[in-house]
Order: sequence, then C-alpha cells, then structure tokens
Amino acid sequence: MKSFTRRTQRPPRTQRTEREVPVQSVIVWLISFVSFVSFVSLAFDAQTPRAGAIRGRVELRRVLSPPERRPGVAEAGAPPGRDLPDLRRSVVYLESAPRGAFETNEGGRAVMDQRNETFVPHVLAITTGMSVDFPNSDKFYHNVFSLSKTQRFDLGRYAAGRSQSVRFDRPGIVRVFCDIHSHMNAFILVFSHPFYALTDGEGRYRIEKVPPGVYNVVAWNEGTASDPKSVTVHDGSIAELDFTLR
Amino acid sequence: MAPRAHAQVPSEPIAFAGGRVTVGGDVSATYGSKDPGWFDYTDYEHFALRMLRIDVSGAVHAGAHVTLLGELRTENLGALRPYGLYARIRPWAKRNIDVNVGRVPPTFGAFARRTYANDNPLIGYPLAYQYLTSLRPDAVPASAQELLDKRSLGWRVRYTLGNQAADRGVPLVSAFRFDTGVQVHAASDVVRATAAITTGTLANPLFHDDNSGRQIAARLEVRPVPGLIAGVSGAHGPFVSAIAARGAVGDGHDREFTQSAWGGDVEYSRGYYLLRYEMIVSNWRLPIVRAPTLELPLRAVSTSVEGRYKIVPGVYAAARVDHLGFSDITGSPAQGTLPWEAPVTRVELGGGFSVLHNLLLKLAVQRNTRDGGRLLRRDTLGAAQLVFWF
Repeated sequence: MKSFTRRTQRPPRTQRTEREVPVQSVIVWLISFVSFVSFVSLAFDAQTPRAGAIRGRVELRRVLSPPERRPGVAEAGAPPGRDLPDLRRSVVYLESAPRGAFETNEGGRAVMDQRNETFVPHVLAITTGMSVDFPNSDKFYHNVFSLSKTQRFDLGRYAAGRSQSVRFDRPGIVRVFCDIHSHMNAFILVFSHPFYALTDGEGRYRIEKVPPGVYNVVAWNEGTASDPKSVTVHDGSIAELDFTLR
Repeated sequence: MAPRAHAQVPSEPIAFAGGRVTVGGDVSATYGSKDPGWFDYTDYEHFALRMLRIDVSGAVHAGAHVTLLGELRTENLGALRPYGLYARIRPWAKRNIDVNVGRVPPTFGAFARRTYANDNPLIGYPLAYQYLTSLRPDAVPASAQELLDKRSLGWRVRYTLGNQAADRGVPLVSAFRFDTGVQVHAASDVVRATAAITTGTLANPLFHDDNSGRQIAARLEVRPVPGLIAGVSGAHGPFVSAIAARGAVGDGHDREFTQSAWGGDVEYSRGYYLLRYEMIVSNWRLPIVRAPTLELPLRAVSTSVEGRYKIVPGVYAAARVDHLGFSDITGSPAQGTLPWEAPVTRVELGGGFSVLHNLLLKLAVQRNTRDGGRLLRRDTLGAAQLVFWF
C-alpha cells in the first residue's frame, strides 16, 4: 500500500531522457538473469554427487564405571553427593576425511559445564577453531586444566557463575581435569573435519553430509578406539556401520 | 586429520563391588641433602628429605549409614603401619553429621588434613607438624637445667625421670599419626564443626592410652565465600604418661601434666594463586621436681605462611616461611635465661612440574636456622620429590 501511495503522489513524467531505463525492461532483464542462474545451477547439481550419511550403533560390551572419589581418610566428614558422568557416549568419526573437508573452519562455541562435581557433558566433540566455555555452576571453586599434548591449559580457580573459555586449534584428544576434585574428568575430541558424531544413550550415531567415497571409520569410547572399519558411501545414500567396543 | 585415539593410563582409585569398595594410593619418593642438623626428622623417625613413602587408603561403604575407612603406610619400606582405621557413621542419611569411631582423622589445625605429598606444594612439612622438640611424654626432665641441656636434641633425648632410654621428642602437633577415640563432624555450606575425645594428645596421638585422661579437641571452620577458609582449633589433654608422672611426683597426678593448644588458620585462593597462614600456640605442663624449677607452662608458638602460584599449565612455584619460638625459662647460673628449646626458622622455596595429572615432580631448597642448641645451627638443604597418586 505504501509504495502504491508513494507512486501515485509522484509528479507525472513529461519527458524521458536518453539515460532513463524503462521499469518494464529492468524487470524482464532480472527475470532472465535469475532464470539463467537457476538453469546453470540445476545443471551443475545434476553433475555433482549428492552427499550421503553413515549411521549405525556402537555397542559397549562393558560400560566403564564413573571414577570414584579417593578415599578421604583424612577428612572428618563424608563428602557431599555428586552427579555421575554418563560414560556410555561414544564418538564415531572418519579417520581420513574427504578432500576439501578441511577448508571449512567456522569457529563457533561449545559448553562444558561443571555441575555437582561433574563435567557436563562428559564427552565433547568439536572441530578445530571452536572455543569451549567452562562455566562453574557449583557453589565452590573448580579449576579446569589439561596437560594433554594437543592442548595444555589451566583456567585457575573461579567461583560459581563465572566462566572461562579455551580455543582449540589443534586436532587431538584433550583430557580435562579439575585440580581440586580429582574424580572430575572429561574428554574433548577435536577434529579438523566435520565428519564425526556422538552416540545417543542407546549407542546410535549418524554422520551427516558425507560425500560419496570409501572411508575408514573409527569408534571411540573413554580412551578406547576400535580398529578402523571401511565403508562406502554411495551418491546420496546412507551407509550402515556398527561397532563393538571392549 | 582426526584425533589420535589411544588408551589412557588409569588414574582413578580402584573400585570394586559396584563402587562400594574403593582403594586409593599415594607414593612419594624424595631424595635430598644429608641433614646433619636433624631439621627434617619426623616422628616416624625418618628424614622427610630422604624418604620413600607409600600410602594405601581404602573405603568400604557398608550401606547408607556406615563407611569403614583405613590407611596403611610404610616409610622407606619399613613396617606397614595403620595410619588411620575407623568407622564413619552417618545417623541421618540426609543430614551432614558424621560420627567417627576408631583411629580417627585429626581434629586440630589445617595442615593435618593435607599431609599427602600431592596436597603439599613443597617437600618439607610445616615446622609445627614435623620438627621434634625435646619434650617427651614418657620421660621428663627433673629440672629446668636439664631441659635446657637438651635443647635441639629432639631427635634423640634422654631424661632422668620416667623412661630413661633415649628416644625422639614430639612435635607441637603430629600430622602423621591418627589419635584413637570418637569424633563428631557437622557441616553446612558455610560452617564446619568438629569435636573429638581421644586417648592421646596433639603431640602424642596414641592407640593405647598411657595415662588416665582423655584429650578434648574441637575445630570450627567457616567458608564465607568461595576460596576463603578460616578456622580456629583448640585441644586440651593429659600429655605426660602415668609412668613418667609417677616417677616424678608419685601416683594420681598424671592428669595434671597437660598439653593445651589453640590455633588459627586462613586459606585464600583465587585464579592461579593460593595463600595459607597458620598459627599454633601450645602449652605444656610438666612435673619439674628439682631446682631450678621453671615457670609453667612451657610455651611454643608456631607461625607459618605459605604461597603457591601457577606459572604456566603444569608448572608452579611455591614458598613457605616458618618459625617456631619457645618461652624463656631460667636454668643454672651458667645457663641463665633461655628459650626452653632452640627457636627454629625455615624458609623453603620450590616448585612443581606435572608430568601427568597424577604424577608430579617437585624441587625445593630450604634454609634452616636454629638459634641455639648443640647441633648444627644453620643448614641449606635441597631435595627432589616424585609423587604419584591414584
């Protein structure tokens, strides 16, 4: 309505100059251009292989027990209750990624909370260039640190409501601990490509947007990795691959 | 490129029976300078700077209300000693109140709960908890002169009354022996209170009582904000054994010769630094039977300041300044008036490097100064320590 009103209020054009282009011509050109681009794009897509996916299940023959507190013989009182980490979550990833997979490095953030003397989640999988926030949701201090070769860091002691973050620029496994609570630990798996997935509570996983090809796939749980399994992803299809660990 | 996947070294306590039984360990190997001045001699009669210490601790959770806890320790591969062994009873599952019965953990002071090598940023221990004074519970000097004669000989001292064999003296507070008795502990987010009745005393924790009295000890700790812990402690109990008291003044007086102590401590930490301060005042009353008699009580005052700073991940620097002072007594005309034990000052500087998250290499240098006594008065000692725990 607004544009219509504005147009009607314009003074009538009495003369056209050579440089003026009729509105109708512009619209025709635009339609032609869009049609051309769409046609080229469709033609290109028809030649480009469509990405597929890999899905399956990781079966854990033995689920590890969460780490216990050290027996606090020198403490006069029993320690307070705590949450237990979920050690059933596994990570499945392509051992060697398709060409071009490393070019995307978009950064981004992930969160590993410290809640009731537990890192939540217990396993985090990220790509290089991402930062992980470590908020403290407990009433007391925590001190997140890692001495892993992939990334050494120590965030110091900080209180409830505070958060510190670390950027991970190298691929590898980072084991995270709390300097104050020795039973607290977690894993961060840093990948240089996006072809990985965490399993759900029942061990199911799905790696999306995998270009067609032959890949070696590895499943990992709590420091134990499977032997690589070969899988072929066909054009736009879903490959099935199951693992058994321990 | 994907992450390298490999098995991790297990580093947690070993758990059995679905987590109802847990076993942890702490191993420290220390090698340092010879200590001719006996500055670092402990009440387990080993040098703190030349020691292999192996601790194995365990907890058995026998239901929601009872936990059995114990710790075995050996130093320099000697006899395996029960350091602590007690039952922790929680009468109300949802209330943070515990009753400990047996060889219970220390009630008094702050350092006694962090004697594990990985809790101690340096290699040496605070003087109040380790340095052996010339006092003994089972033998007493007959006069002030005799006590002054024994200054600095706490590593091996002999007196006229009581047990006349030479033996070690006692520190102000023994951090390395648990006392036997009953302890009650209650805690909230902000306040923690502990009280205990035990057979021994701070300086001389016992399994079997050696006199007819009991020690009463209490500690109140507040944690008003994260990182700040302030505590006060007190203890009082008969110190001199019945045999030594009988030898000095006859039967029926052993309850009169006591050790009374109080202490205050503060810890503050934030970011990469940690600061600790602890002061302990201890008074002993001994049966002195011959002239020159001495003014009682014999007092010892310990002051300790400790700091730690993390320089980079896995590397820290630490320092502790420690002083142990003693009240004056008057001995023979030749001796005059002197502190009843030679005052000691220790400055320790060091640092640690974490090889793994549970494997720590520590290096430290300490300068010890003793103001009097018969032994070496000044000595600089260095040591390296490797600590592993799970």
